[in-house]
Amino acid sequence: MSVPNKPSGMRQFAALLSKDLRRELRTKEMLISMFVYAVLVIVVFGVALSFARPSDDLIQVSGGLLWAMILFTSLLGLNRSMSQEMEGRCIEGLLLAPMDRGVIFLAKVTSNLMFLAVVELIAVPLFWVFFSSFAHPADTAWLIAVPLIAGSIGIAGIGTMLSSMTVNTRGKDVMLALLFIPVIYPLLHCCVSATTSALLGGVAMDAFTMSVALAVGFDIIMILISWLLYQFILDA
Amino acid sequence: MESVDGAHAIVADGLTKRFGLRKAVDDISFKLPQGSFLVIFGPNGAGKSTLLRMLATLSRPTSGSVLLDGINVKEDPAAARMRLGMISHDHMLYPDLTAEENIIFFGELYGVADPKARALELLDAVGLKHRRKDRVRTFSRGMVQRTAIARALVNDPDIVLLDEPYAGLDPNAVAVFDSLIESIRQSRTFCMVSHDLDKGLGLASHVMVMRSGREVYSGLRDDVDEASFSALYKSTVGQGVA
Repeated sequence: MSVPNKPSGMRQFAALLSKDLRRELRTKEMLISMFVYAVLVIVVFGVALSFARPSDDLIQVSGGLLWAMILFTSLLGLNRSMSQEMEGRCIEGLLLAPMDRGVIFLAKVTSNLMFLAVVELIAVPLFWVFFSSFAHPADTAWLIAVPLIAGSIGIAGIGTMLSSMTVNTRGKDVMLALLFIPVIYPLLHCCVSATTSALLGGVAMDAFTMSVALAVGFDIIMILISWLLYQFILDA
Repeated sequence: MESVDGAHAIVADGLTKRFGLRKAVDDISFKLPQGSFLVIFGPNGAGKSTLLRMLATLSRPTSGSVLLDGINVKEDPAAARMRLGMISHDHMLYPDLTAEENIIFFGELYGVADPKARALELLDAVGLKHRRKDRVRTFSRGMVQRTAIARALVNDPDIVLLDEPYAGLDPNAVAVFDSLIESIRQSRTFCMVSHDLDKGLGLASHVMVMRSGREVYSGLRDDVDEASFSALYKSTVGQGVA
């Protein structure tokens, strides 16, 4: 038997990522369910705010509503992402390969982030269209892209780690939400604050830089911890 | 289990696995010569699959060690995995990828130089070259298992672990599976977990019987008299011959 050369982590990362993308492009299972869910949340918000008068006060809650939509939509995607690896115990095929578990983590984070970004690219403008009929955001509103990027990276990173922990548990959907929301709370707080600041503009922008800096710092620390813990999570 | 011809493919020393207070595998030791075929028998819950998962690096032993081709799996798990293939009743294939895409994907993970060529070669060997562009989801159980064999051999492993590979296969698929195993048997070492005494004894060069996590019998297949072994199996396992 000839043993192949030990593969590079980069090649393994590319193989894992392309596998996830190919499978999703073929089935569109995650993207469609996340997108439909996001639209339904927007509709519910629409009903909830349908009797509100157009006023600047609504901008105060807009950041929170946007992040509620993103958070619940991402939970759906994260659960499905790891559940797919359990079908036919595919995850064991990955664990049998001569591969650092960190490579699996990074590939999964990247694919989850890409799927979330695709949904956000459609859902956030929809949210915007709906929301602009209730209130008028400031000129700095385009800056919400910054907390959206920072928040999505954190959600994908921490969510991937937690969904790997909960995928084998009974009631994994609830279990993921129970773990995910408390862990992600500081990031969520920073992202809501930065988003609201960008929408309000003016003096509120003072809080924007600090909130984004805290969100980025949280991302770095939590993703590093998740990456380090991933080996133990998969082994367990 | 003694070596009869030099180098050992698998050396297990004092392997123990605890789940809480329960010992799923209790102090199992054996040395398996290269090119041999060990079949581990035992009832459900005997610890066979747990033992196999420790050999496969899928589960960390609570204590004890495993050497695969002389490589300590705890010290260099990646090098050990390069030499290992596993076929289970779980196929470990992505149902929404085609058979070819699955094999290429796993080939890339193992650093195979030309994964596409290797996939074609293996799918040809398992008689699925004509279905290589079809999704695994559309395959019968037998075809899935043949694809799983191709996946397990993508890295040309020295050691092949089989965990109840016949589960869910119809007689025709079993015959195809047997002929495939026979065709890849040369110079490889096998370790199979099974309930099926007839099937296992037909393949084995070495046998082991486990009960409640412990080894209750081990030896060379040639030293085994089928009638007495069957009686021993029944008495230790406390169940009829499968």
